[in-house]
Amino acid sequence: MRAGDLLDVRVPLGELLDLRSFREVCNSFADLYRIGVKVIDGSGAVLVDVTSGSNEFCSYLYSNLEGARRCSAVIQEVKYRPLDGPTVVAIPCFSGLRYLAIPLVYEGDVVGRAVFGPFVPQELADLPQAIKELPGLDLANGRRLMAQIRRAQDSTIARVLEHFAGICSVLIFSAYQVYLTSKMHIESVRESYREVVAKAEKLEESLTRLKELDQLKSNFLATVSHELRTPLTSIIGYAEMLIEGLAGPLQEEQLEYLQTIMEKGERLLHLITSILDTSRMESGRLRIEAEPVDVEEALSSAVSSILPQAKKKGLSVAFDCAPTVREAVLDPQRLQQILVNLLSNAVKFTPAGGSITLRARDATTVPARAQGRFDGPESYFVIEVSDTGIGIPAESIDRIFDSFYQVDGSATREFGGVGLGLALVKSYVEAHGGEVTCQSEVGKGTTFRVLLPRTYINPVRGEALLRKYAS
Amino acid sequence: MVQINHERRELSIKVVYYGPALSGKTTNLAALHDRFSSDVRGRLLCVDTKDDRTLFFDLLPIHFESGDFRVKIKLYTVPGQVMHASTRRLVLQGADAVAFIADAQRRATQANNEAWRNMIEDMRANGIDSADTPIVIQFNKMDLPDVRTEAEIRAAEERGNEPVFTSIAIRGEGVVETLHGLLQLTFRHMQRKYGLANILRTDEQGFLDNVFRNVDLRGTSMRRIGPRFERREGVR
Repeated sequence: MRAGDLLDVRVPLGELLDLRSFREVCNSFADLYRIGVKVIDGSGAVLVDVTSGSNEFCSYLYSNLEGARRCSAVIQEVKYRPLDGPTVVAIPCFSGLRYLAIPLVYEGDVVGRAVFGPFVPQELADLPQAIKELPGLDLANGRRLMAQIRRAQDSTIARVLEHFAGICSVLIFSAYQVYLTSKMHIESVRESYREVVAKAEKLEESLTRLKELDQLKSNFLATVSHELRTPLTSIIGYAEMLIEGLAGPLQEEQLEYLQTIMEKGERLLHLITSILDTSRMESGRLRIEAEPVDVEEALSSAVSSILPQAKKKGLSVAFDCAPTVREAVLDPQRLQQILVNLLSNAVKFTPAGGSITLRARDATTVPARAQGRFDGPESYFVIEVSDTGIGIPAESIDRIFDSFYQVDGSATREFGGVGLGLALVKSYVEAHGGEVTCQSEVGKGTTFRVLLPRTYINPVRGEALLRKYAS
Repeated sequence: MVQINHERRELSIKVVYYGPALSGKTTNLAALHDRFSSDVRGRLLCVDTKDDRTLFFDLLPIHFESGDFRVKIKLYTVPGQVMHASTRRLVLQGADAVAFIADAQRRATQANNEAWRNMIEDMRANGIDSADTPIVIQFNKMDLPDVRTEAEIRAAEERGNEPVFTSIAIRGEGVVETLHGLLQLTFRHMQRKYGLANILRTDEQGFLDNVFRNVDLRGTSMRRIGPRFERREGVR
């Protein structure tokens, strides 16, 4: 339906007005002015019919066969006589009584009529000839009953009727206002809904496309990393063999060069492994192989692996493991990677003379996305890596866990790395059902806080694992 | 689409006031409401929020007799705020003529352009050919500082096909002229398409007289005076 129709619509008065309340208004008018009130819609349907004092007189006339016939004719007039102008029209009854009618208008269209009456015209002296001619009518009774009906001048009733029509006009206008508004509201909502659905479909399509591309990218990364690793392993292996003297003795300088080749090769291998892990993570193929872990040992081993670089930079490294958190069931390799990545970062960003502290202790909170519905802090423990390094600006904190993100992304930046370390930490921690957060102050230092479950529960195999290690 | 009901001897024309938010569409209708005699106009139907922003539409119906036809002109406004896009499109459905109310302030240029593009797009979405629909442009708020000059506005008029009017709707200035210009175009358009003069048994002048003889024309400052309109200034 077009809005032209929507807003052009004509509603029958009976549907437009709240008839119960409207009738109450009409009743009070009839009471107040002692006059009958009729409201008739455009099709002749009587919506309101309140009488005042005329009931007995009219019933008496109606009980007469000829009276009933004439009565009906008058009612037809009252309901259907065309009302052209906006003025009051008098409709006489054969009984000498009178009705006054006025059209109810909306936007210049007659949508119904209000009728007051019957009343006795001021000038009517006695029952008219037409009644006297009715066979078998008791005229004395007729006069007695007519006396119960209000006698009034046309002008008096007309004024009240005009006033009443004015009120009706406001009611009709207000009702149309509400009606059109709600119609428009519904249509607008429908229209907006259609738009939203169409947009959602488009978004859905792009999302699917993006997911496909993302999958392609991950597959590509995995393939490339694998292809890079194979020759690299050979390079490292042959360098190692040369160092071991399998191809004959080497001069000191040659040895030094070979060691550099091996060291850089291993760094490259580590980087490629990280990229591979990232792509696995993104394609959801990272598997957690949980087993009982000695946390203190893990801490110690991680510290020893970064100790040489720390010493080279003149940093002091300390670690401490609370006795209550020594046992856990986690993926030991991933735990090691988490610790080493965080510690390497600390070493990288802490200037000479600074200190790095690694601490494990009881948790006091649970991750926002806890493993189980009823987890409490007792199910978790915390590992903290604090440094006295350069710190991270507040605006970058939210992004440091993104893959390939660098706080200083400029080409001339001071610190190396590709920006995968923290992304991997976050992935490993979350794959365990834990949470990693960061607090930092520029120039003062940074603390990474890793909240890990004491026992990793595989979302699928959780029950079985719990049983295995509980026994 | 204009509705000509020969059986009921009724002609119904839908006029839509379109334009950016706060350009004065409702103010135009309110000013017309004040100037039209209550014999020929209905109540002004406004559905707005507490801060007087149009929520769905405003409606001012005008009705008069022409020959043995009853002519109904319904003036609608669309809600200007950006978020009411779907309502705007719905109100514009079936429009026979459009008054585009622009804000004459320079800083409103972009908003005017966007609203204009939206209007053309909304018309297209409703199957209305904007090139074959009577449209006039009104630059409103001419009393404010930093508005376009008359010369600039005339230059803008030269560039397009639509007659351009200036107004200060809040004082009722230029509002009647805009409607007059639009209805003149509308009559000509309908004369071409439907032979309106034969149906209404009146010519363009008679039609416009029928509308504007019921309008209080005192104090209107004609910026675009046609010889006939000038004559009519003396009606009241």
